[in-house]
Amino acid sequence: MRNIRLLTAIALTASIAGLSSFSAYAQQYAAVDTTNQPLSNEVCATCHGGEGQGNPVVGGPSLAGLEPWYLRKQLENFRAGIRGSQKDYIPGNEMQASVARLSDAEIDDLVNTIAGWKVIENDHTIEGDLSNGESLYANCAACHGADGEGNEALGAPGLVGRNDWYMFRQIKLFKSGYRGVHPDDTAGKLMRPSTQALKSDQDVNDVLAYINSLDR
Amino acid sequence: MKKFVSRREILGLIAKAGASGAVLQASNALGIVPDSYVDIPKIPPADPSNRPSVVVLGAGVAGLTAALELKKAGYSVVVLEAAGRAGGRNMTVRHGDLIDEVGNPQICDFDDEPHMYFNAGPARIPSSHRNVLHYCKELGVELEFFINENKETYIQDDAMLDGKPIKNREFTTNARGFMAEIMAKNFTNAELDQPFDQWEVEALMRALRRMGDLDEDMLYKGSTRGGYSHGGFLEHGHAHEAVALRDLLKTDLFSMALSQNEGETGPMLFQPVGGMDQIIKGYLRKLPDEVFYNVMVTSVMLQNDGIEVVYEHKGIKYKIEADYCFNSIPTHLMTGIDNNFSADYKEAMAYPRRGEAYKSAFQAKERFWEKDDIFGGISWTNQPIEQIWYPPHGMYKEKGIILSAYNYGGGMHFTQLTQEERIETAIRQGEKVHPNYRNLVEKGITIAWHRMNHMLGCSARWQKSRSGFTQEEERLFQTLRQPAGNRHYTIGDQITKHTAWQESAILSAHWAINDMLARKSGGAMPGQRV
Repeated sequence: MRNIRLLTAIALTASIAGLSSFSAYAQQYAAVDTTNQPLSNEVCATCHGGEGQGNPVVGGPSLAGLEPWYLRKQLENFRAGIRGSQKDYIPGNEMQASVARLSDAEIDDLVNTIAGWKVIENDHTIEGDLSNGESLYANCAACHGADGEGNEALGAPGLVGRNDWYMFRQIKLFKSGYRGVHPDDTAGKLMRPSTQALKSDQDVNDVLAYINSLDR
Repeated sequence: MKKFVSRREILGLIAKAGASGAVLQASNALGIVPDSYVDIPKIPPADPSNRPSVVVLGAGVAGLTAALELKKAGYSVVVLEAAGRAGGRNMTVRHGDLIDEVGNPQICDFDDEPHMYFNAGPARIPSSHRNVLHYCKELGVELEFFINENKETYIQDDAMLDGKPIKNREFTTNARGFMAEIMAKNFTNAELDQPFDQWEVEALMRALRRMGDLDEDMLYKGSTRGGYSHGGFLEHGHAHEAVALRDLLKTDLFSMALSQNEGETGPMLFQPVGGMDQIIKGYLRKLPDEVFYNVMVTSVMLQNDGIEVVYEHKGIKYKIEADYCFNSIPTHLMTGIDNNFSADYKEAMAYPRRGEAYKSAFQAKERFWEKDDIFGGISWTNQPIEQIWYPPHGMYKEKGIILSAYNYGGGMHFTQLTQEERIETAIRQGEKVHPNYRNLVEKGITIAWHRMNHMLGCSARWQKSRSGFTQEEERLFQTLRQPAGNRHYTIGDQITKHTAWQESAILSAHWAINDMLARKSGGAMPGQRV
């Protein structure tokens, strides 16, 4: 990953409208000379682990193996505040603010870099009833594919090999209206009603256990 | 039968009245003075033709201590630091400094003057922390006294006195007065059954009378110790009216006010002249070529005869092989870095909670507290900002840096807010202590340790319950303290029983070095060191 110049980026953002609270502060700080500032240019790895292997302890999902189109879409959504700007959802707010100042070129750079990372096998942390999971998954298969392979045209990412604890959290976020409610989140708006078919945490665990089983 | 109250119980009663504040404050740091000792590892000098190599991860106090001691003994030492600065949570913020919070980077805009700094992490050194003081001496770090206790500061609680702040001296004078009176009354009633002779009773009564400034009838009717409402020098002084005990008891800060300056935060305390990071600068003077910055570790692998660390710097990957690794990376981040540690070791790394401490500071346009007889010390409030600290240095200069919030256990309240909300909240809450606060402060900075880049947490929290380490927690702690594969040591205050202090970080490094030496010399005893 090339340098993501935080502070140059801060100065730039000041002129971009709609970046919420940050702009006023960016403006205030833009005047500060940062020439000799020791910049921290690596942000992702702090939460997402070395080479994007993910870190459940701080809640950062693995990035290695994400489809480039999906990764790009999510970075753009975070940057635009379509994702992660919901109040009092802290990990989303952090992610949103962390990418809010990325340029298109930096997003390209990130997507290319992450595409080169070794895909690691994530541990399965969720157990559930496979047969219930399989029947619930029929609902998911329409977009995510019978084998969880994903469907770019529908904006549905592949599910195989993703962190199950992360998918659990995302399903809960969709269900509770923290994700998939922004008017411009086309794919998310499709996903949100679909998650309502999962009536309980047990249903969520069951369907994730089934998705895990597609892995092997 | 009359109730029997022994001497021990009386002492216990006094202690109880004072100590419960420590519990209420959710701080493991209050009222405790752990035994510390200076035991600098005696490392046999390395053979220059065959120098053992050590890679240290993290240039905080623990990492720098390990690096310094090993270098002095002739080891080949490299320190890898993820951030662009050394120090870890030892962080002094000045003009132009970056506060690298994930999602909320700030550049400090304080005036560029030597006394205009903010110690965002550790800010006071207890006199019992002998190892920190030892290194200050060795590294030529000039110290000055830090003022924690100052009775001229305020105590404010919305539930007490209509939310009006009261001077700490007035508060504690009244509180002690009433408590002395209550003790005197009870003692007199019970004294016939006590194992005290007449002389002892009189001695105690005299002490109680003095402690509370009681009148001849052993009643508390107010005291000039709380300050005069007017007069006192050229005219007769008029003491403040006594504040009723019932009013004082309305605040949870009651017990805190009587105990806050006991134990580890009691006198004497020190701070380095010019900022806490003078300690870090001292270490770096002795390690001019060893520390590498903006280096992200991506894997730590135990080998048969050493350890391999891979890191990335400016998009290029490097590999280091060393005999030993001393690793102060927060364990909750280490779980996201590729490694081949045992399942038990990984389980232990994932266990401690991330600390949530939050601090913020303002530049004060004038040193308004000095006009209010305040020179150093802490005001307390029941609001989430909890504390306001006045700088003990820079007296009578034009401006100063004031700590506007320090919430050690409940920092997430602020962490969740935007920068503007954090600043506005600190102003609004500070206004209840200093009425014109809004117009007196500017250029706020905030430090949410839970979100600081490369750290994502303040001090590690091992205990889920207040009652101490469970057996399971003890097992995890001991697992993580032992070296992985005899090569990898987890260090830092995170692997001590008294997290959050620099003293603990230093002792963790000493422990690891001593353990390494014992194993190297073959003198290691069977079983696990505890």
